[in-house]
Amino acid sequence: MDHFPTNWGRPRNDAYDSYGTYPIPHRPYNGPKDAFGEGVQRTQQPIVTGTSVLAIKYKDGIMMAADNLASYGSLARFKDVQRLTAVGEFTVIGASGDMSDFQYIQSMLDDKMVEEFTSQDGHALGPAEIHEYLSFIMYGRRTKMDPLWNSFLVGGFKEGQRFLAYVDLLGTTYSASAMATGYGAHIALPLLRTAVEGKENLLTEEQAQKILEECMKVLFYRDARSLNKYQIATITAAGPSISESRELATSWSFAEGIRGYGAQTQ
Amino acid sequence: MVAVPDMDSLVNPQQRQFNPYTENGGTILAIAGADFTVIAGDTRQSEGYSIQTRYAPKVFRLTDKAVLAVNGFAADGNMFVKKVKQRLEWYRHAHAKDMPLRAIARLIQTMLYARRFFPFYVYNILGGIEDDGTGAVYSFDPVGSYERETCRAAGAAQSLVQPFLDNQIYFKNQLAAPGMSHPTHLPLPDVLSIVIDSFTSATERHIEVGDGLEMYVVLAKGRGLGGMEAIGGVQELSERTEGERLFVVRRELKKD
Amino acid sequence: MSIMEYNGGSVIAMVGKNCVAVASDLRLGNQALTVATNFEKVFPITDRIYLGMSGLATDVTTLRETFRYRVNMYTIKEERDIEPEAFAHLVSSTLYERRFGPFFIEPVIAGLSKTSSGAFRPYIAGADLIGCLNFAKDFVVAGTASEKMFGVAEGLWEPDLEPEDLFETISQTLLNSVDRDAYSGWGAIVHVITPEQVITRTLKARMD
Repeated sequence: MDHFPTNWGRPRNDAYDSYGTYPIPHRPYNGPKDAFGEGVQRTQQPIVTGTSVLAIKYKDGIMMAADNLASYGSLARFKDVQRLTAVGEFTVIGASGDMSDFQYIQSMLDDKMVEEFTSQDGHALGPAEIHEYLSFIMYGRRTKMDPLWNSFLVGGFKEGQRFLAYVDLLGTTYSASAMATGYGAHIALPLLRTAVEGKENLLTEEQAQKILEECMKVLFYRDARSLNKYQIATITAAGPSISESRELATSWSFAEGIRGYGAQTQ
Repeated sequence: MVAVPDMDSLVNPQQRQFNPYTENGGTILAIAGADFTVIAGDTRQSEGYSIQTRYAPKVFRLTDKAVLAVNGFAADGNMFVKKVKQRLEWYRHAHAKDMPLRAIARLIQTMLYARRFFPFYVYNILGGIEDDGTGAVYSFDPVGSYERETCRAAGAAQSLVQPFLDNQIYFKNQLAAPGMSHPTHLPLPDVLSIVIDSFTSATERHIEVGDGLEMYVVLAKGRGLGGMEAIGGVQELSERTEGERLFVVRRELKKD
Repeated sequence: MSIMEYNGGSVIAMVGKNCVAVASDLRLGNQALTVATNFEKVFPITDRIYLGMSGLATDVTTLRETFRYRVNMYTIKEERDIEPEAFAHLVSSTLYERRFGPFFIEPVIAGLSKTSSGAFRPYIAGADLIGCLNFAKDFVVAGTASEKMFGVAEGLWEPDLEPEDLFETISQTLLNSVDRDAYSGWGAIVHVITPEQVITRTLKARMD
């Protein structure tokens, strides 16, 4: 996938904005105008964006990780943003893509949870229902040609069943035992798959955490829109819990040995 | 040389259109027998060079005698199946029976053509048992053109599989032995081996095909299992054994 | 419209037990319009090597002469026939000479190469239009019906086919593939090369 969120859903155009210095600079424009042009706002572009989310199945449930950065183009704009959020008693959602769209969806999900609670019908929305609802919202908005510019991972645990699934701005959905959005789908997912596939029922919480930490580290080394501050969420029979922010211990000593990487004289 | 955007493209409004479609790979295939139908699809879902998941079903049970395979843009496909299932449920409530296969086929055409100017980017293949007890395959294009056939492949490896089927199912370019004629319908075990061979071949030569294979088998009323006993890993999906019977057979495909 | 599809046409080669087969369709088109149905795309290079070329017809004709010239020069200098391996590299370097203004053809080479013991070993190879060689153990395909031929051949081909079975396999593969391709077909020609002889047969096909 194209890593730059501004390019999502668009044809490539290398001649324009080749450095990805989005958002697109707006210049004064005095040419002919469509009087009704602003009446209908259709497509947009992501402005403040979050990068990859990772998630895996393990013995006791689902574990998810995302860093705390919200970028403004290539600027690391907000460095204390929560991209993992609990929805109800059984579910955590991890968001990448546009952060304002994410917040809009959070408030929409809050409303939905309140609505469901007030009906007092003895049913609570589980991860499968929340994912289905979210996919309807996303698919509905893409069909209106007014997408919510995100990729989400929905993880949960209810009635002894683990749940992990994906939904994005096109309404595409799927499920697997190791998943990643954005850059993570290219860099971290192969590592996650080798570590997790076939061992979903064996991995302990400690092992799962170690796998995710390792992948977050690899992503921090290679994804220019990532941060070494991240959170981990677990969803088990005990319900969802989202950790405090933690730092990645990284080492840069290897750079010394590489010409053009560290400070060297030729 | 760095490509510098010209002033025109900066001053004038940028018309960058959101593309509401993508292509999720995979292949589907259906073959009708005299009194059975096989509807199959691989289970890989991909976007570009990335495999999103190794198990995303593309073949769905509609009724005990109708199975729908969808291929193309996965989000549209899932939504379309959901809407067809909903219409079939409404039909059941109104008429206290399952909709006949040829009626489902016409319903699908209507539903696809209703979106003529913003199509579901999906190739549909409907398979099952007709009211007269014959096996049937209906294939559709994304805007609803449809046709009843004996066999059809669609999706990423359509061009690899369809000519193979022409040869093995329709016996195209083959002469029957003197005084003999080609069978109009093949027995179930032969059909299943051809389906498996088609998918292993497609997996070998197409990167978007692989991981797993799901073959749905619909048997006409009172037909008996004839040919199913010898096959391993069969799961029955129909609840009643009196009417049409529905089975699913799963096989692994290469994952590279 | 791609130049590679301007005239249409398809070529295929397969390995058998102690034999090889190479075949092409006979159509020459001007985009969708068929202008000739006797345009062969496979040519003898030596007694034991055949070269098939699909793509732009004018380049097929040009390169046929180029290779005739170069193989003749090789034969005179070396005072022996060229072997399939050497010929494949001759094809490759001839195409790569035009790396930045290529001939629009994809070659398919089929032949029997002489081993040190004096026996013959089947040899096939394909290449893209700039000469990147593909030494396949089973079959190579080229042309507008190549995807279809990949599919059918992958289903029909098996190792160690005798000449007659190899003939049937390559014929069925080609015929069923070109029948699903608008730019190929209108008859076919098949050459089966064995140590003793080359069997050439012209096939009738659908003319629609």
